[in-house]
Amino acid sequence: MSYTNKEIKQGIKLHFIETNKFKTNLMAVFITLPLNRKTVTFNSLLPAVLKRGTATIKTQEEISEKLENMYGASFDCGIEKIGDNHVLKFYLEALNDKFIPKNINKDLFKESIELLLETILNPLTEKSGFKKEYVEAEKNNIKLLVESKIDNKDQYSFNRCIEEMYKDKPYGLYKYGYVEDLSKIDEINLYKYYLEVINTGKIDIFVSGELEEKNVEKIITNNQNIRKLKEREFKNLQSNTLQENKEENVVQEKMDISQGKLVLGLDVLEGDCNKKFAVSLYNVILGESATSKLFQNVREKASLAYTARSNYIKQKNNIYIRCGIEIDNYEKALKIIREQLDEMKQGKFTEEDLENGKKYIISGIQSIQDEQDSEIIYYIGQELSEKQISFEEYIEKINKVTMEDVKDVANKININTIYFLRN
Amino acid sequence: MQVIENLNVKEKLYVEKLDNGLTVMVIPKKGIRKKYVIWATHYGSIYNKFIIPGEKEVTEVPDGVAHFLEHKMFEQKNGTNSLDTLTALGVNANAYTTTNHTAYLFEATDNFYPALDELMDYVQNPYFTDENVEKEKGIIGQEINMYDDYPEWAVYMNAIRCMYKNNPIKIDIAGTVESISKIDKDVLYKCYNTFYNPSNMVMCFSGDFEPEKLIEEVKKRLIKKPEQGTIKRMFEEEPKEIVKKKAEVSMEVSMPLFVIGIKDENLAQTSAIDKKDYIIKKHIAIEILLNMIIGKSSKLYKELYENELLNSEPYLEYEFEENYAHIAITGVSKEPETILNKINEEIERIKKEGIEKEHFERIKNMLYGTAVKEFNNVSDIVRMFVSDYFKGINSFDYLENYEQIKPEFAMQILNDVFDKNKTVISIVKNK
Repeated sequence: MSYTNKEIKQGIKLHFIETNKFKTNLMAVFITLPLNRKTVTFNSLLPAVLKRGTATIKTQEEISEKLENMYGASFDCGIEKIGDNHVLKFYLEALNDKFIPKNINKDLFKESIELLLETILNPLTEKSGFKKEYVEAEKNNIKLLVESKIDNKDQYSFNRCIEEMYKDKPYGLYKYGYVEDLSKIDEINLYKYYLEVINTGKIDIFVSGELEEKNVEKIITNNQNIRKLKEREFKNLQSNTLQENKEENVVQEKMDISQGKLVLGLDVLEGDCNKKFAVSLYNVILGESATSKLFQNVREKASLAYTARSNYIKQKNNIYIRCGIEIDNYEKALKIIREQLDEMKQGKFTEEDLENGKKYIISGIQSIQDEQDSEIIYYIGQELSEKQISFEEYIEKINKVTMEDVKDVANKININTIYFLRN
Repeated sequence: MQVIENLNVKEKLYVEKLDNGLTVMVIPKKGIRKKYVIWATHYGSIYNKFIIPGEKEVTEVPDGVAHFLEHKMFEQKNGTNSLDTLTALGVNANAYTTTNHTAYLFEATDNFYPALDELMDYVQNPYFTDENVEKEKGIIGQEINMYDDYPEWAVYMNAIRCMYKNNPIKIDIAGTVESISKIDKDVLYKCYNTFYNPSNMVMCFSGDFEPEKLIEEVKKRLIKKPEQGTIKRMFEEEPKEIVKKKAEVSMEVSMPLFVIGIKDENLAQTSAIDKKDYIIKKHIAIEILLNMIIGKSSKLYKELYENELLNSEPYLEYEFEENYAHIAITGVSKEPETILNKINEEIERIKKEGIEKEHFERIKNMLYGTAVKEFNNVSDIVRMFVSDYFKGINSFDYLENYEQIKPEFAMQILNDVFDKNKTVISIVKNK
C-alpha cells in the first residue's frame, strides 16, 4: 500500500495509489474550477456533453459497447461542490487484468485510462463547437435534473437550508446550475468555455490498483491527450472566511408531504484549522453516531423521529442537523435540539462520550483504505485543502482532543438558519 | 468444515453447520482492515402465517412483526441499548429487514471480538416490555411516514400489488401504523422463539480471519437452545396471472416514475429438476436479455434517449425467492406508457428475429465483470452471500455459470418469461 503524487506539468498532478485489495483498477480525473454564478450551469453541462461522444468514438452507444467489451468497465461523471470550488469528476473502473478470463489477452488498464482521457480531452466537435445535437439534448437533461431537486425531500431540504445560509454567495449555488441559464448556452459558447477549462483548470488524475507505478506514469505521460495540455496556474479558492455572527433565520416552506423535514444550519465561528479535529468530535457527540445526543434524545427518548443526525462540512465551517418529524412536533423537536446544543456549550458530555467519538472517527479513518473510491475522495480533499496529512497523523490529532477543546468550540457554534419543510 | 474455492475471483468460502443447526460462513480477505459480520434469521415480512414446530394450529400475526423485532432486539434487560454499546466500541452496527430475512450486523476495524460478544448476546437475549414496545411505535410510525414520501417506494409497491394477489410481498415490510398498533410483547416473544432458533439462522463473516479460530469463537458465545423442528410457513396459493395491468397515483415529483413488472412462476411452481441450477441460469439469462432489450448499449435505449423519453438507463432487476419471482424495470420518463409499448415491441422483435450473437456475448462479458466487482468490498460480499443463502444459492455459483449460458437457452427464457399478459406498469405521476 502506498500513495504518491507527482506534478507531470504545472497544474496537472498524477496521484498513484498502489493497492492489492481489489479486483479492479479505479481511475479518476478531477478538474477544479472556481464556483460562481456565471459559470455554474456551464460546468454542470460539460461532463454531460463530454460523455456523449469523442472525436474517435462518436456516440454514447459506441462508448457503452466498448465498456461492455472491456468486461463491464464502468464510466461515471458528475460535478461536486467542494468548498468554493466546483469540481468536474470523471471515473472509470475496470477489472484488473488478473481477473479477466485467462484466454483473453488484453491490457485493460491502458485501454481504460486512454478511454477516460479521450472522453475528457478529445471531444467530438463540429465546425467551431461541440456537436449541436448533443448540447441541445443535454441542456434538456440538465433542465430535468435541476427540476428533479424536489423529488428527494431530505436532500431538497438540506440544499434549501444551504441556499438560505449562503444567499448571493458562491456556496449557496445549486451544483447542477439553473434552468434560466440554459437558453443562453449553445454548442459554440460552451465549447469556447470548455477550451478555457481545459487550459486553466487544475487537473488531478488518480490511479488506484495493483499496478506498476512506472508503467502507469509512462502510459499517462506519453498519452497524446495529456501531451497536448499546457502548463497552467490555478488559484485555489480557499474560502475559509467565517460567517458573521448573526440572528437566527427561520424559513418555512410548504409541500404536499406526510413527514416534515427539519434542517438546522450551524456556523462554526472558529477559524483555526487545528480546531477542526475538536469540531469533528463535537459533531459526533452531538449527532453523528447512535450514541449521540440527538439520536438519544430526539429519537430514543422522545420517540419523535426515525432519523435525527448531524454532519460536519469542514471546508465551510458548518454543521447541519437534520431530522424527519411529525409536522405538529416542530416546536417540541426544536426545543430538544436547542437543549442539546446548550448542553454541549456547558460541557455536559462525558469522558466516555469523547472516547466513543474518537473510536467512531478513527474506525472511519482506518477503513478509508478498504474502499477504492473513499481513498481517492480522501486524497482529492487533501489536495484541495492544500494540507497533506497522513492517516496516522490524522488519528493522532483526533486522539489529542480534550473535553475542554470540545467545550471550547461548542461555545463558538451558533444556529444560523432553521429550515422546515412542512405541509 | 467445507472449503469451496472460486478461481474466477480467487476467493475461498468456508462453511460449517454447527451441532445446534446454525450455519456459519467465512470468506477471508487478507490485508483488509475492515471486518464485517451479519447474523441473519430466515424471517422476514412475508412470513405472517405459520405453524410453530410442535403445534397444530396456524398462528397469524399482524403485518410488520419481523421489522418490529429488528428494532426491539437492541434493548437489554439492564437498561442498556446494544446499538449504543456497539457504537461505544467504535464499531458501526446496524440491522435491516427484508421480505425473507432479518439481519443484524456490524463493521469493525478494532474491538472485533468484544463487539461479537455484544452482537451474540443481544440477538440471543430478547427483552420486551409493554412500555418499550409502546415507545417503539412512535419511531416506527415515523419510519413508515418517511417511506410514504418516497415516490420510489410507492411506485415499486404498487407494481408488486398489480402482480400479486395473495403473496404477502404485497404488504409493506414495516407494516402500517394501524397493523403495528396491534403488536405487543407476547406477539414479539412468540415470533422470536419461533424464528430465532439457530437452525433457522446463518452467520456470515468477511475480513482478515482465520476461519477455524473464528468458528471456535462463535461456538463459545452460543447459548444452548432447545432443538426445533421445521417451521411450516403458510402461503395462500398465488395464481400465475396478474391482478391488474396498471396502477397510477400522483405525488410531488418533477417527472413521472415507473416500474414495469413481469410476473414469473416462482420456484415452488417450476418444473425443473435441478431447481437451484435452473434458477441461477435463468437469473443470468434474464439479466442478459434485459440488457439486450433496454440496457445502455441497446438500440431501444438509444432511440428513447434521443427522443428525450429516457435520460438515464432504467434499473433492471430479477427478484425472486421460494414464493415469488418477477422482473422489475424501474425508471423515470415523461411518457411511461410509451416506454412500456416500446419495450413490448422490442421483446416481440427479438422473439421473431432471434438473438444477435455478438451483442449477447458482449452483455455476458459485461455482467461477468460486474459480478467479479462485487468481491471488492467485505460488506457487499457478506450481504450477497446471506441474501443468496436464503434462496438456497452459493454466490460463487453465478461466476461459474456465465460461461455456460447460450443464446438458445436465453431464447427459451425469453419466450417463457417475457409474457405480455403478465406485464404490469405502475406509475407515479407529477401533480
